[in-house]
Amino acid sequence: MKHAGVVFSAIQDKTVGVSQSTSYATRFWAVALCVVGCAVSSLNHAADIPLYPTGPSADSSFVRFVNGTGAALELTAAGSQAKVQLDAKTPATVFYPVRAKSDIKGQFTQAQSKSAIATTVKAGEFVSVIALADGATLKHVTIGEEPDDFNALKVSLAFYNASAKCANAGLQVVGRNVMLFEKLGVNALTRRMINPVKISVQLLCGDQTVGAPLELGELTAGERYSVFAVPVVDATRIFIASDAVAR
Amino acid sequence: MAAGTLAGIAMLVLGESHLSLPGYLMNPLYEDLTTQGATVHAIGACGATASDWLKTVEVPCGADRFKGDTVFKGRAATTSPIKELIAKDKPNLVVIILGDTMASYDNETFPRAWAWQGITGLTKEIAATQTPCVWVGPAWGTPGGKYFKNDKRVEFMAGFLEKNVAPCVFIDSLKFSKPGQWATVDGQHFNQAGYQAWSANITKALAALPLVQGLKK
Repeated sequence: MKHAGVVFSAIQDKTVGVSQSTSYATRFWAVALCVVGCAVSSLNHAADIPLYPTGPSADSSFVRFVNGTGAALELTAAGSQAKVQLDAKTPATVFYPVRAKSDIKGQFTQAQSKSAIATTVKAGEFVSVIALADGATLKHVTIGEEPDDFNALKVSLAFYNASAKCANAGLQVVGRNVMLFEKLGVNALTRRMINPVKISVQLLCGDQTVGAPLELGELTAGERYSVFAVPVVDATRIFIASDAVAR
Repeated sequence: MAAGTLAGIAMLVLGESHLSLPGYLMNPLYEDLTTQGATVHAIGACGATASDWLKTVEVPCGADRFKGDTVFKGRAATTSPIKELIAKDKPNLVVIILGDTMASYDNETFPRAWAWQGITGLTKEIAATQTPCVWVGPAWGTPGGKYFKNDKRVEFMAGFLEKNVAPCVFIDSLKFSKPGQWATVDGQHFNQAGYQAWSANITKALAALPLVQGLKK
């Protein structure tokens, strides 16, 4: 993660920077227009009210990159020499803010194998680009989400199924006969809010338990997390990552 | 309300246009809070959103009041990074009065991701300083006007804030009046009677919070 800021500053310079400039420009023109045409006065007020926007022209958009393979890989953004290392300890980047509908281009590299990334993100969307091993080669899937469950009092937990080897994926709470998620299709995600408790989960593919339980650790209220199901040689494994956004 | 209900509390109060122009919320609120014993530094920045208080952003107007008369600013007004303000003032309570600038009244689609990013960015910065905080949500306006304020969206905005401002404690200004009860000059900004009523209600609600009662010296 050492170079993450460097690599994606390129994306942000091209995207978020434009958005901020747009915001300033909007304010400038709003004020200018107000000076010309908004001279509304009130007997009760000593000054006119400058017109200002009550929101952005478009909702925020975000993209992150996830290593769903079993070995370390490198991520580069197009036009940049800097690299982001994604490995077992840090399998996912943060969500980087990007401008909606802009072209996001880059590349996953692992040994001699490469997977070129080209995607766009809708306004209000959080996109995850997930690198996967396909035999000796590298590929990726892109899964987008438009969340509406923001809540600082709860934990928000998503379940991404990026494994073609796991139909009808589910997560069961270990030690309790409770399903957190059920019957999730391939290349899909689902999300729910849970209380900030310490739990472990067991992956199910259909009715079959697969692999070892995963301890989710201390989940904090107000934070967002994702559990990813990804293919391994002959099965599917799961891991957790934070959904933190770059600040 | 008995005098001195906020005695010993040093407040940093940040807000949008409601705190930025003569005849608005700044003076009645400053006076109500100080009458109750609080030491207050209040800063308004027209049009400022939550994320604008993470950095220095130019705004079309603003005001600042701290141990003296209000300084109303025109184009020279800016926001200031919340961490710098807290480090300088060392308040034992931060009060954010913000909502109208983030409600997107003129947009059918509410920008949830943007609003969540901005709100949580500000609350995390405040929480990192371990300073308790209170977030005062928007009040009812009158439908229409140049900001297109409307009851449905302001109610949604208040609900969104209530769910997302923790660890700040939320004060719901919608409970202080009925829709349209406080007259406005443009749908969003109140006349002096409205601002006086809003100020009195904010002061009373603050004094009633267990969080604030625990801060009294």
